[in-house]
Amino acid sequence: MSVGTSLRLRLCAGGLVSLVILAPLAWFSAAGATTHPIYQTGRHDAGTPNSSVVVRKHGVVTSYGDGAIMYNAPSPALAALGRALYLQNCATCHGVDANGVPPAGTTGAYPNLVGLGPATIDFWIESGRMPAADPRSVQAMRRQPRLTHDQALAIAAWINSLAPSYPYIPTVNVKDANVANGAALFALNCAACHTIEGDGDALARSTFAPSLRNIPATQVAEAIRTGPGNMPRFTGNLSDFQVADIVKYVTTEIQHPRNPGGFGLGGLGPVAEGFVGLLIGVGGLALIGFWVGERQ
Amino acid sequence: MSDVVETKRSRKQATGRYGAVGKVMGELDDRLGVAKGGRSFLDKIFPDHWSFMLGEIALYSFVVLLATGVFLSLYYIPSSAIVTYHGSYLPLDGQSMTESFASTVNLSFAVRAGLLMRQMHHWAADIFIGSMVVHMARVFFTGAFRKPRELNWTIGVTLLTLAIVNGFLGYSLPDDLVSGTGIRIAYSIILSVPVVGTYLAFFIFGGNFPGTAVIPRFFILHVLVVPGIMLALVTAHMILLVRQKHTQFPGEGKTESNVVGSPLFPVFMAKTTGFMLIVTGVTALLGAFAQINPIWQFGPYDAARISYAVQPDWYMGFLDGALRIFPSWSFHSFGHTIPFEVTIPAVIFPGLVFGLAYAWPAIERRVTKDNAIHNLLDRPSSRPKRTAAGAAVLAAMSMLFIASSTDVIANFFHVSLNTVLWSMRVLVLISPFVAYPIAYKIASEMNATRGAGRRKTVNVVSRTEEGEYVATSAPAYADDVAHDLAPTPVPDFIEATTPEQPPSDGVRTIER
Amino acid sequence: MSDQHERRTPVSLTGLREDDPHLQPAARNPRLVERVIALTFLVGLALVVGFGAAYWVNATPWILGATMGGGLFFLGVGLVAWGKYLMARGPFVEERHPLASSDSDRNAFAAAIVERGGGTVKRRKVLGGLLGGGLGAFSIVALFPLLRSLGPLPKGTLFHTDWRAGSYAVDQTGRRIHVTDLAVGSIVTVFPEGTQNTDRGQAVDQTVLIRLSNENFTTQKGRESWGPMGYVAYSKLCTHLGCPVGLYEQQLQLLVCPCHQSMFNVNNGAIPEFGPAPRPLPQLPLYIDASGYIRSQSDYDQPVGPGFWERS
Repeated sequence: MSVGTSLRLRLCAGGLVSLVILAPLAWFSAAGATTHPIYQTGRHDAGTPNSSVVVRKHGVVTSYGDGAIMYNAPSPALAALGRALYLQNCATCHGVDANGVPPAGTTGAYPNLVGLGPATIDFWIESGRMPAADPRSVQAMRRQPRLTHDQALAIAAWINSLAPSYPYIPTVNVKDANVANGAALFALNCAACHTIEGDGDALARSTFAPSLRNIPATQVAEAIRTGPGNMPRFTGNLSDFQVADIVKYVTTEIQHPRNPGGFGLGGLGPVAEGFVGLLIGVGGLALIGFWVGERQ
Repeated sequence: MSDVVETKRSRKQATGRYGAVGKVMGELDDRLGVAKGGRSFLDKIFPDHWSFMLGEIALYSFVVLLATGVFLSLYYIPSSAIVTYHGSYLPLDGQSMTESFASTVNLSFAVRAGLLMRQMHHWAADIFIGSMVVHMARVFFTGAFRKPRELNWTIGVTLLTLAIVNGFLGYSLPDDLVSGTGIRIAYSIILSVPVVGTYLAFFIFGGNFPGTAVIPRFFILHVLVVPGIMLALVTAHMILLVRQKHTQFPGEGKTESNVVGSPLFPVFMAKTTGFMLIVTGVTALLGAFAQINPIWQFGPYDAARISYAVQPDWYMGFLDGALRIFPSWSFHSFGHTIPFEVTIPAVIFPGLVFGLAYAWPAIERRVTKDNAIHNLLDRPSSRPKRTAAGAAVLAAMSMLFIASSTDVIANFFHVSLNTVLWSMRVLVLISPFVAYPIAYKIASEMNATRGAGRRKTVNVVSRTEEGEYVATSAPAYADDVAHDLAPTPVPDFIEATTPEQPPSDGVRTIER
Repeated sequence: MSDQHERRTPVSLTGLREDDPHLQPAARNPRLVERVIALTFLVGLALVVGFGAAYWVNATPWILGATMGGGLFFLGVGLVAWGKYLMARGPFVEERHPLASSDSDRNAFAAAIVERGGGTVKRRKVLGGLLGGGLGAFSIVALFPLLRSLGPLPKGTLFHTDWRAGSYAVDQTGRRIHVTDLAVGSIVTVFPEGTQNTDRGQAVDQTVLIRLSNENFTTQKGRESWGPMGYVAYSKLCTHLGCPVGLYEQQLQLLVCPCHQSMFNVNNGAIPEFGPAPRPLPQLPLYIDASGYIRSQSDYDQPVGPGFWERS
């Protein structure tokens, strides 16, 4: 608790300071950008869609969609604390320098974290997937996060200080987003794995698409922009406006479906409907028929 | 006239003993001659064993389907024209979609009781086909399909087939993301038919998939052609039932040449009308509390979009399961392709299953050489071979049904999808061979044990001097005598085994 | 309610005296049962009236359904109970009369058909043959226009897509895909420019564009130039039943079909490694033009989607 509150204080106080410190850093990463910036597409630049409007304040890239999403780097002032937390929680697998351990047969085992971008680090920690419960499992499960929001920011800040990289941590402005547009984009880009009702389902070889029913807006945006695990990464093909639309659809209609027709049957679709129809419908009526008719 | 005082009594005397009803009946009889036949119709005896109610569930859910279907057809627009939705459901606002989808969303949200009627229609369809299957199983396992009722069995199998087809057609009409995927699969299945497949597909869909012809065509098939045929067949089913009189289970006073039960009027009428209200009521309650097919969440169909976990309605499940587990055996040669990975599970296999159902009465007659008239039903245990054969088919079909939700199973139990798929392949293949001997053994054991399946029988187990245990069943009541337990005489049948002991002597020796 | 011990032999309905036990109600305490049924009917009546009121005020669907369903349910239960407990308890019996007619009737029937009808035809064989021929010919002839007018002939439409040499790959909004648009591990559904909003474009031309690396990517021998800058394009139509193969697993490098779970290896020419799909997804050869846009070298080298008879 004490760590959390003191961090929050420091964050508030260091708000302006961090902007100033960040300026040269962002200048560095945006160097070479032209009116039609061509980023070398690699880890360092994930989440920098060239097609949407890039907004800079004092040279710092703050948005790729004119206010739809604000990207903020965690304060470098947290880096020292972040390093301590990293060594405690992450270094066993990812190495003291966060440059990972070569995969030993398992897909994506102990990857290099340098250059992954604060959003990636934040997503994995805040969704409770890291530190991993079972580092050898095929896919990390979402669970109660072991580290707080501020601790996650601190670790992200330290890793970012090793090699500044995108994407920063998004803050989604869902107020102005278009939920209908989001529904259409969700059907085109997300439903193939997460199902149209957002419940997730099993994929190849023990992997699975997780349910989207209780994911905060920031993590939805982070997942779209960084492509965690087996999820493809959506960068230049979705503008920030579109991501905000999807986030709005997920956090409203998917997470709070109106279900005007009664209980939603868990979103399992025809499977659940078949069970209800056969067990309650046919089975219940057969039981009533058992009363109506004679037993002899 | 004016000096005669009219009283209730005088009016009654003037109209005869049975009042206005009698008068109307008299007038009717003068013209149609209904009195004699009508009287014997009202006296008609209906056996009322509970298992005979299963067919009634099907009948009354068909009635619910017709009624709710008429309501829906008043608001549904069968058109593939593209419109832009501006309605009360905001997540679809401004999306372009076919008019059929837009009108389905509108009838769900903008028409009073529209959503209830749509959900009732869908639930009634699920219950209709489910109760048909259960009813068919009852008829099969009790041997009710035997002479003279083979024709009614054939009508029943046809009704089941048509109901499944019509269910699929109706499921397709909203043109939502999930059903559109179903149509896409149906198109590819038609395409897979050797030689004529492409022509068939192009004629049915009016060109390449998706085209604009399919929704209007499916609509007219769904609301007129198929239900029209079904209504005619249901009527024929009922007429045959009345003409041939219902079968009955053997029991006290019941013989091959009589019917024991309740008279049509008023007892059976009250029960069956009440049951109709119950079926309608349960359907409405399901429609009220269990949301089915929320197409507004699925969104409009677009051939490039797809949702995971798309399953057909349950009655198509066995087909989807077969398609999932069938290996990728495709035939390419001589400049032609036969997609066996589709043709076998989706065309040949259902053809064989329904062909077997049609042919079963003939097959059994040939095997048993039994050409006698049967009005008394078998208990499933008294025909172990038939029961085992039915159980084997049901087991395989259930496994295929389960195989249609491999992804849901894998997700639910957190096992690998690949493992689940392989397990289902194995299970589908071995399940009939497991189910057959188990069902056969259970049936023949029950058959061998006197009084099996009867409640409240007491067995006295005693030990002989040689150390052998002998179970003797004792009558529970003084008047509970053995004669009504003995299977009624039936001709030599599908049996291979004879019970170890004559069933009437009430003693079964357990061999050691 | 009926006493198990007290069995009655079934009797015929006709000629029963009014005090015959078969005509008495099955319930031991008919007054009580009558009250219970009355209560059931009252509840049903109230709910049905409630349904009317709910409809009038346009209540939510579940209230409509609960009142209507509950009302009918209670009325039905009451009616069944009335029939079961308060009406004649029976059992009654009725004779079955054999359906078969007497031998002489059968013979007369058969004779009428064979001798009267058959004889007539036999005497006028030519007329019968001509009539039969005419009707038979009509039924065959009618079949052709009936079927044929339903739709066009397939011709070559199943063999080609709208991808041409130099077609721009655009997403569903019509935006051309630039080489900088996708990060490694990104996927987008593309169409040849101009078809993205057409039925055919969406049903036939749909293609998944995946970026696999930053260098040219070869998925199979002979396709060295097909994946410039790591951009690889496969037909989105599953070769099993034509579902859109939109499920991409980035680490496993698999495209999975959501319908029947066929799995295609993206690195290796989309060869199916699991599931019912028999053929690899056809790959679209790509190039990047001078302005950096993704374009197709040509159409697919084989028909896309599920198998059919004419496909070689």
